[in-house]
Amino acid sequence: MSPQLTLQTPLELAPSDVPTYLEQLWSPEQQGSTGTGANTFCLLVWQPAWAEQQLVRSGRLQGPITGQQSKELIASGRQAVIDADLPLSTPPLDGSVIEAAATFSGNESMEDLRGQYIDPALSALQPRRLITLAPTINDGQSLETMVAAYCPLPEEGGGTAACGDVVVLRGGRAALQEGMNILQPLLPQSMPSWVWWNGFLDEAPALMEQLASAPRRLIIDTAIGRPRHCLELLSQRVGSGQAVNDLNWLRLRSWHETLAMVFDPPHRRDALSHVVQLDVDVEGHHPAQGLLLTAWIADRLGWDLLSSQEVEDGVASVFRRSDGVEVKFHLMSVPMGQPSVHAGQLVGLRMVCQPEQGKGMCVILCAESGGCMRLEGGGMADLDLIEEVVPVQHSTPEMDVARLLSGGHDSTNPLLASAAPLAARLLA
Amino acid sequence: MTATITNPLRVGLRQERVISPQCLVIFGASGDLTHRKLVPALFELFKQRRLPSEFALLGCARRPWSDQEFRGKMAEAMPSKVEEQPEAWEQFSAKLFYEPVDLQKPEDVVRLGGRLELIDQQCATRGNRTFYLSVSPKFYGSGCRSLADAGLLKDPKRSRVVIEKPFGRDYGSAQALNHVVQSCGQENQIFRIDHYLGKETVQNILVLRFANTIFEPIWNRNYISSVQITAAETVGVEERAGYYETSGALRDMVQNHLTQMLAITAMEAPGRFDQEAIRTEKAKVLQAARLADELEPWNCCVRGQYGPGGTQDSPLEGYRQEPGVDHNSTTETYVALKLFIDNWRWQGVPFYVRTGKRLAKRVSEVVLTFREAPVHLFDAATGGPTANQLILRIQPDEGAEFRFDVKSPGSGMRSRPIDMEFSYDESFGEPSDEGYVRLLADAMLGDPTLFTRSDEVEAAWRLYTPLLELIEDSPWQLPIHPYESRTWGPAAADALLARDGLLWRRP
Repeated sequence: MSPQLTLQTPLELAPSDVPTYLEQLWSPEQQGSTGTGANTFCLLVWQPAWAEQQLVRSGRLQGPITGQQSKELIASGRQAVIDADLPLSTPPLDGSVIEAAATFSGNESMEDLRGQYIDPALSALQPRRLITLAPTINDGQSLETMVAAYCPLPEEGGGTAACGDVVVLRGGRAALQEGMNILQPLLPQSMPSWVWWNGFLDEAPALMEQLASAPRRLIIDTAIGRPRHCLELLSQRVGSGQAVNDLNWLRLRSWHETLAMVFDPPHRRDALSHVVQLDVDVEGHHPAQGLLLTAWIADRLGWDLLSSQEVEDGVASVFRRSDGVEVKFHLMSVPMGQPSVHAGQLVGLRMVCQPEQGKGMCVILCAESGGCMRLEGGGMADLDLIEEVVPVQHSTPEMDVARLLSGGHDSTNPLLASAAPLAARLLA
Repeated sequence: MTATITNPLRVGLRQERVISPQCLVIFGASGDLTHRKLVPALFELFKQRRLPSEFALLGCARRPWSDQEFRGKMAEAMPSKVEEQPEAWEQFSAKLFYEPVDLQKPEDVVRLGGRLELIDQQCATRGNRTFYLSVSPKFYGSGCRSLADAGLLKDPKRSRVVIEKPFGRDYGSAQALNHVVQSCGQENQIFRIDHYLGKETVQNILVLRFANTIFEPIWNRNYISSVQITAAETVGVEERAGYYETSGALRDMVQNHLTQMLAITAMEAPGRFDQEAIRTEKAKVLQAARLADELEPWNCCVRGQYGPGGTQDSPLEGYRQEPGVDHNSTTETYVALKLFIDNWRWQGVPFYVRTGKRLAKRVSEVVLTFREAPVHLFDAATGGPTANQLILRIQPDEGAEFRFDVKSPGSGMRSRPIDMEFSYDESFGEPSDEGYVRLLADAMLGDPTLFTRSDEVEAAWRLYTPLLELIEDSPWQLPIHPYESRTWGPAAADALLARDGLLWRRP
C-alpha cells in the first residue's frame, strides 16, 4: 500500500474559497512544488457514520471517528444490542441500534477524522479527489470545510508522484446543504466521478438526488435502509441508465459462483429446466439480498413472476417457467444469534428440481457461518441431494468499493441490471 | 452423447481480476495479427466487462490512417462479430484511436508521447500503458530503444512492452536481443508472449499437477515411461511463406510453443504460485533438457516437408509449389525430436516432440505413457497389454483423457482399455477464451506468469543449438523427408520411435 504524504495540514477554508484554492493548487505553475494532480477519478462519499458517532459520544467506543467499519465499531455495536435489550439477531450497525445508542448517556469529546483517514485500499488507487460529506449528530453544528493535498509516495524507481486532494464538508444537515453549491465545480466532467452513499438509502432522498445524478456512478448498499425502498431505488436508478453498483449484490458473488458450479456438470444442467421450488433463508428481516439472488435465478432461467406477497416470515411468490409449470418461491427470515454486520445476508438456498420422468434433484447451499438443518428437512429423502457450503467473505465495504473503483466500469453489471427490477417487484 | 446445454447460471459470471485504467498501444496495427487476433480478443474482453471504462487502444503503423479509418478497418476485418453485437461494437470502437508512427523515427515517437498524454486526459487512462510490438522481429530491439529514448518506459509500474515471437533466431541473437530490451527497461516490464501459454489446457497442466495429490507422486521416471508432445496443423504455409522460409517448423513452433508445453509438463512444483517461482522452475527444467544425441543430432531428429496430397476433387499443393516458396526449398514443415531431461525426476524418460503442417488432423496434446504393470495377470481383449496414458488435449476439444484397463464384460477375466474423459466445453458452461484474450489481459494487469522470461528463452534456444548449427553448416546430415499432405508426416519419424519400440499416438 502506498503510504500517504500530506503536503499540508488540513486547512480550514470558507466553502466559497475551496474551488479557487484547489484550482490554484493544481495549476501548472504550482505543479513543480506539489507533484502532478493524478488524472484518475473523483469519489464523493456520503459518510454519516451515525452508529460510530453515537457510540463514541456515549463513551462506548474510543474515537476518533473515522467512518471506517472497524472491528472495534462492530464489537461496540454488538454490545449496544445487548445493553439496549434489542433482539440478539439485530445487526450491530442497524438503525435500531443507532436509535438506542442515541438514548445512551454521555458526552465524550469526538475527534472527527472522517474523510481524512483514507483506507489503504482506496488510496492505492490514487484518487484525484476525495470529497466527504460528514453530517454530525448535532444538527445545529455549522459548516466546516477542510482541504488537504496528499501524495502517495512514489515507490523506488517509480515515476513522479501523482497527487490528490481531500475535501471534507462537516456539519449539521442544514449546514451541509449550504455547502452543496461548491460540489459541482469540484467534480470536473473530464474525470469519472463516483458517489458512494455509505448510509441508509432512505435517510435523505433529496440530497441523494442532488448528489448522485448521472453521469456520476453510484455505489449503494441495498442492505442499508428499508428493503422496499432499497430495491425500488436500485431498480429506478438502473432503469434510468445510470451506472449503479450495489455492495449487497457484490457480496453475493460466492453464492452466484457456487450455484453455477453445481450445474456445471453437463448431466445436471437439464435439471434447471425442471425447477419446481426455490427456498431462500436470510438473516433477520431484510430480504433485499435474498430477493436479488432469486431475481437473478429467475431471470437466468426465464421465469415470469405470477404473484408475490409478503408473509409473516418473509416473502412468498409464484413464478411460471417457460414451459408453463409453476415454481413456488419462499424467502424466510431466520433469526441468527450472531448476525452479520450486513442485514439480511443469505443463510441458505434450496432448489428442488422435479422432471416429469426420472428422479428429482435437491440442491442445498449453506453459508459457511450458518447451518442448513431447516432446509435439509421437509421430505427431500427421495431426491438426489447435492449440498455445497458457500464460503463467507471477509472484505470490508472499503475493500469492496476499492474493487469497484479499480474496475472503473461505466455501466451497471448486466446481471444486476436484469435482476434489480424483478427483485423490486418481488417486494412490491 | 446429447448436445451440451449451456449452463444459464454461468453466463456473465466470470470473476476476473480487474485491469487498471489503461492505454494499449499496438505497433503494427495495420498488420494481420491486429485485426485477426488482438482486436477481436480486446473486443471479447470488452464484452465480458473485463476492460475498464477508462481504456483506450491506440493503433500505430506507418499508414496515414485517421481514427475513423482505423475503426472502419477493424470493423471490416471482423464483420460477424460486429454484426452480432452492433451496440457493443459501437461502444468499443469509440475507444479505438490511431496515430501514424514509424518506430524508427525519433520524432514520430516523441509525437506519440504527446498523443498518449492527450489520451490520458481524454480517457482518464492514468498513464498506464502497454506497448505491443506486433512488428517485424528485426524491429524488436530498435522499437524498445525508441520507446525508452522517448521516456515512455520510464515508469516500470505503469509501462510495459509485449514482444511477439520469435524472440531471436538462435541462442546468440536471443541473448543480444535480451541485452537490448533489458537496457530499455526492467525485466518485469518485458512480456515475451507465447500464445500457447494463454490456453486454458496448458494452464490446466499446472492445476492438474499441483492441485491434486494423485498425480504428482507418479509424475516421474518411476511411473512414466515416455512423453509425447504433439502440435499438428492441417493448414499449409498459407500467406506466411516469406516468414516461414526463413524460420521453418523448428523456429516457428518447437523452440517456443512446444518447448513451453514441455517445460510446464516437466517442471518441479514451485514453492508458491508466484510469477517468479513458476518461471524459475520452467527455466530450470529447460536448462536440464538436452537432445537425446547432441553429438550426432541426426539420430534424434527428423525433418520433413509436405508434398502434394489431397484428393482428385480437392488436390493440395506441396510446400515447394506454394506461392512465395523457393522451388528447391529445404525449409522443414515438420520436425520430430527426441529429448531427455537430466534431472532426478526425468532421468532416462524420453520426451518425443513433433509438429508439422498439413498433417492428418489439427491437434495439440501432451501424452504421458505410464509404465506397464509389472505382471500381467489377465489376458488383454485387444491382444496385448495396454499402458495407461494420460492425454492432455490442448486443442481442439480442450480437456483431458485417462486411459486405463477395465474388465471386459463377459464370463472371462479379460482386460481392455477405456477412456475416462474430461472436456472443458462440456464440464463448464462456456467455451474457453482464445489464448490472446487471457494474455492481453495478463499483460495489462502486469502479470508476467504466462510470459517467458529471458533465461527461459535463452535456455530454449540453447537446447536446439546443435540442430540449428547442423542445419546451417551441413544440412545434408538432417535431410528433408517429404511426406504426403494430410498424413501423419514422414515414415522416418515413425522409425525414430520404432527404434525405442514405441509408436506415435494417432489422436
